[in-house]
Amino acid sequence: MADVLARGTRFHVQRLGPTTGPTVVFVHGLVMDNLSSFYYTLAAPLAARDIGTILFDLRGHGMSARPDSGYTPLDGARDLVAILDELGVHEPVHLLGNSYGGVVAMRAALLAPDRVAGVVLVEAACGGAAGELWFEDMVNTLSVAALGLEFDRTQEQLTALGQRKISRLAGNAGALLNGTTLIDDVGSGPPLSEEDLRAVACPVLGVFGAESELIGAAAELAAHLPDCTLHIIPGLGHTVLREATDDLLATVLAWLRG
Amino acid sequence: MADAVLDELVRLIEEVVGPDVLLGIEVDRDTTFSDDLGLESIEFVALADRLRRHYGDRVDLVGFLADMDIDEIMAMSVGRLVDHIEASVGLATGRG
Repeated sequence: MADVLARGTRFHVQRLGPTTGPTVVFVHGLVMDNLSSFYYTLAAPLAARDIGTILFDLRGHGMSARPDSGYTPLDGARDLVAILDELGVHEPVHLLGNSYGGVVAMRAALLAPDRVAGVVLVEAACGGAAGELWFEDMVNTLSVAALGLEFDRTQEQLTALGQRKISRLAGNAGALLNGTTLIDDVGSGPPLSEEDLRAVACPVLGVFGAESELIGAAAELAAHLPDCTLHIIPGLGHTVLREATDDLLATVLAWLRG
Repeated sequence: MADAVLDELVRLIEEVVGPDVLLGIEVDRDTTFSDDLGLESIEFVALADRLRRHYGDRVDLVGFLADMDIDEIMAMSVGRLVDHIEASVGLATGRG
């Protein structure tokens, strides 16, 4: 499994574990992230416990192609459903989105409710005041990073220093931020409205770090989602996936097993 | 026969990163994926994918990786991965 053509774009897709039975589809975060952040932390351990997993690089990220446009959360949700179509996966799947990937996952749950059995949100503010603040903050941060990558010739300097890995990351980030509509698309509109949240038909598990700046989003989820479970991890900020991997894995396993 | 798995692994690494990256680098059992080869974690995924396709069910790569965290995987030496593959396919004799 590697390349899947969906909506005219080539996506890097990996499947681990069985191709029948409960399946988790992973959606990673923005710009410096890709499917590898799930591959080692959650997907391989779930697959080793006979749970099917599907991982893909969002357009413009990792080893997927980088088209000029189509980077809103709704585009991401359409890409996700199109990839499932191409894979012939029509049974409802569980979506697990980290950070921005959580917003894409929730968009997909609204877009195709018959394809989504449940959503796990890890450190994602999908709507309400917390969501709007977070999106504004992301757009500002990405805009500053884009300027830096364009004018500092960061990649050339890193290459000259023999820093291949960091140089490639900087090059990819620069091309994504300065060569596509990603920043405009992320800033193009509010995330989900309260009405959207109330319309999410499937169960949602929200996992947050107690010290995260997104912790306000947890209460908003609980207030508006019809079926919401929260798991708050003490002492952690936004880096739940990386720093509380074992806790997250155990929580997701228990939630999947109902 | 002893270096067949190592040779195959080097060929697959070259497929993933492109031939230029390995110019001037002698990949041996002590070479590490992150520090020596500068492999990104997404490139290691692509390498694992090629290994799974090459060796099929004979090598349980998913179980092998599931027992390690990402830092441990990236800091791994080529030799450790070769050992796992050799042990799995029953070639773990006559190394070197």
